[in-house]
Amino acid sequence: MDAAVSTLPLRLALVGVPNCGKTALFNRLTGSRQKVANYPGVTVERREGERTASDGRTLRVLDLPGTYSLKPTTLDEAITRDVLLGRVADAPAPDLVICVVDAVHLPIGLRLALEVKRVGLPMVLALNRMDVARRRGVKIDVARLSAELGVPVLPTVAVKRGGADALIEAIEPTRWPAARSVVAGQVAAQVTTNGRDPRGEDAEQTQADLRGVLSAIGYSPPVENHWAARVDALLLHPLAGILVLGVVMFLIFQAVFSWAAPLMDGIDSGMAALGGWVKAHMSEGPMASLLADGVIAGAGAVLVFLPQIVILFFFILVLEDSGYLPRAAYLLDRLMGWVGLSGRAFIPLLSSHACAIPGVMATRTIPSWRDRLTTIMVAPLMTCSARLPVYGLLIAAFIPREAIGPFNLQGLVLFALYAAGIVSSFAVAFVMKQFAGTRRYSPLMLELPDFQWPNLPNLLLGLWERVRIFVSRVGGIILALMILLWVLAAYPEPPPGATGPAIQYSFAGKLGALLQQLFEPIGFNWQISIALVPGLAAREVAVGALGTVYAMSATGDDLTAQLEPVIASGWSLATACSLLAWYVFAPQCLSTLAVVKRETNSWRYPIIMAGYLFALAYLAAFVTYRAVAAWS
Amino acid sequence: MSPTDLPLSIPLAELRRGETAYVSGLATSRVLDDRSEDVGALLVRLRDLGFVAGARCEIVARMWLGGDPLVVRIGGSMFALRRAEAAAIRVHRYQERLSPSVALEPKDASAAVV
Repeated sequence: MDAAVSTLPLRLALVGVPNCGKTALFNRLTGSRQKVANYPGVTVERREGERTASDGRTLRVLDLPGTYSLKPTTLDEAITRDVLLGRVADAPAPDLVICVVDAVHLPIGLRLALEVKRVGLPMVLALNRMDVARRRGVKIDVARLSAELGVPVLPTVAVKRGGADALIEAIEPTRWPAARSVVAGQVAAQVTTNGRDPRGEDAEQTQADLRGVLSAIGYSPPVENHWAARVDALLLHPLAGILVLGVVMFLIFQAVFSWAAPLMDGIDSGMAALGGWVKAHMSEGPMASLLADGVIAGAGAVLVFLPQIVILFFFILVLEDSGYLPRAAYLLDRLMGWVGLSGRAFIPLLSSHACAIPGVMATRTIPSWRDRLTTIMVAPLMTCSARLPVYGLLIAAFIPREAIGPFNLQGLVLFALYAAGIVSSFAVAFVMKQFAGTRRYSPLMLELPDFQWPNLPNLLLGLWERVRIFVSRVGGIILALMILLWVLAAYPEPPPGATGPAIQYSFAGKLGALLQQLFEPIGFNWQISIALVPGLAAREVAVGALGTVYAMSATGDDLTAQLEPVIASGWSLATACSLLAWYVFAPQCLSTLAVVKRETNSWRYPIIMAGYLFALAYLAAFVTYRAVAAWS
Repeated sequence: MSPTDLPLSIPLAELRRGETAYVSGLATSRVLDDRSEDVGALLVRLRDLGFVAGARCEIVARMWLGGDPLVVRIGGSMFALRRAEAAAIRVHRYQERLSPSVALEPKDASAAVV
C-alpha cells in the first residue's frame, strides 16, 4: 500500500502434520538446503528460508515443526503453537500461514487446518501429494473445499519440479495486500485481547466442522495400496520384520566397509604422494615438516574415512526418506521398553550412529522427560561416524581381510563394535531404569507413513550437507588441533647428540610420558597417550594426531610411511583391542557434551555423562587388554 | 446402521490381526489410569489422530505375546499404538453384524467390507 510497508519482509510460516511433505515444499519455496525425511521428528530445528517475490519484497519462510494438533504433547509441537500465537519472542506471528495438508490423508491434516484457521491468521492451504491422491482414487472438490474453508486451496506436488507453482503464485504479496495491511493488525488485536488458545471446548466443534467439510467436498478416502500392504505384512511381521531389520542393518555395515575400500585406497595413496611431493620439492626445514607431517599426514588420515561416512549417511537418509524408520521403531518398541527406552528412541539413536549431536536434538520428539533423558544419556554410546576413522585404522591394521562365508572378517569386526555400542546402551538404560523407580506410562502413538521412493535431489542435498560439515570440520577444528600438536611435537628440538626420535624430547613427548602412567595399565603406549589429548575434543582427531606423532617420531627414510603398516608392526594386538574398547565408550566429543548441556539446560547431565562414559571406557579397555594379552 | 446401535463395545487391543471394527468412543483404561501422566491429553490426541466415533479401523499388525505394540489403520493412516493406548479405544467388531462363520474367518479386511 505504501512505501514504508512494502520494504518490510513478509513472514510466512509452513504448518502441517508430520510426513505431509511440508519440508519438501519448504525446499521448493526457498531452494534452501534442507533435509526432507519421512518420519515424525526430523524437523526439530527452526528452519527459515528466504524467497524474493516478483515485486522485490522478501518473503521470510519459517518451517514450523510438524504437529497433529495445537494442543501440544512435545516441545516441538509447543513451538509450533507458540509461534502461531505470537508468543515466541524472536518470531512474531506470521503474516501468512501456509497450511500443508497431505491430500492422501486428508482428514487428519484438514482437522489441523481447521484448528489453525481458528487462530485467525491469514492462511492459504496447500493440498500436497495431489498426484498420489488422484492415483489412489481420493475425491476432493478443491473449489468447494476453498469455499468451505474461506481460504485459497492450492494443489501441490512438492517433490516434483514445478509442483508448487500454483502456491508460489498465491503467496505473491500482490495477491495479499489486504492480508498484509488489514488482517495482520486484526490478528494482533485478537490474540492480545481475548488471548484465546484453541483448545478444550473448541475440540468438539473442530470435529463437527471436519465432518461437515468432508461431506461437503464429496471426500472419498484412498483405496488401499495392495503393494504397500503386502510389503508391510512382511516388514511389520513380528519375526520376519525383525529379521529384515537385522539383515538391513548388517548389510549397511558390510557396505560401509567393502564399498568404501577402493575409494579409501585412492585417497590414501593420493595423500601419501602429496606428502612425498612436498618433502621432495621443499627445502628441508620446519615449513616442510609442518606441511607434510602436520597438515597432510594429519588431515589426510581423517579424510581417508570420508567414503565410509558418505556411504553410512546415504543409507540412513534412504531409510529416513522411504518411511522405514518408524516401522523399525514399532518393531523395537517392546525390546526397548524392556530396558526403559521408548520405541520412539530408535530414531534419535539411529541418527546418533551418524553423529550424536542431531541424535540428541531429535529426542525433542519424545514426550516423556524421563524417556528423553535416558535416550540422551545413552546416545553417545552409539557408534558415530567420528569413531569410524579410529575403527577403520585399527581394523585395517590388525584384522586380516579374509572371507568368512559370504562375509568379510573386517566387516564382521566392525559390526561387532557397533553391536557393542548398542548392547551397552541398552545395559546403561536398564541400569538407569532401576534407579528411576516406578516409571509412568508414556504413549507410543507413532504414525507409520506411506512408503515413498527416496527423492534423489533431496537425498543428494542431504548427503552433500553432511560431506560439507565433515570436510569443514577437518579443515577447521581438526586442522587447527593438528597444527598445534605439530608445534608441541616439534619443539623444543632434541639436544645435540640425542639418539632417540626427536619427538621424545618435545613437549608432546613429555606430556605423553606423563599420561602413559595413567594409560599403561590399559596397554596404551606414549604415542597413543599423546594422540588422545587432542582426541578429547573430537574423536577422529586422534587418528590425525597419531599420523603426526608417528610421522615426527620416525627416524631415517620412512618419513612418509603410512600410518597403518607402522602401527601394525609397532603395536600388540592387545593394545589395538584395548584402544577399540576404549573408543566404544570414551566421551571424546566436546560438541556432544555442549549440546547435552543445552538440551537438558543443566551442567549436571553432561558431567554425569562424561563421568560414567570415561569410567566405562577405562574399565572396558582394562578388561580387554588383560584378556587379549593373556589369550594371545 | 450406526455403530452405536450395537450393544457391546470392546477395547481395540482385543481385535485380531486383519479384523475391522468401528470406533464407538474413547474411555480411559485401568492400565492408563495407573500409569499415565496425563490421560486426558492422551485421549484428546487419539481423537485428533482420527479415533472418533464411527471411524472404521483395522488391525494391520500385532507383536507376539499380547499384541504390544500393534499397528492400526484408520482414515487411511497407520499408527503404532501400545496395548495400553489401544485399550482406551472402544470399538464394535465389524464382523458382529455378519454370520458367525464369516466372522471367524481371518479374511482380508478389504474383502470383508464388500
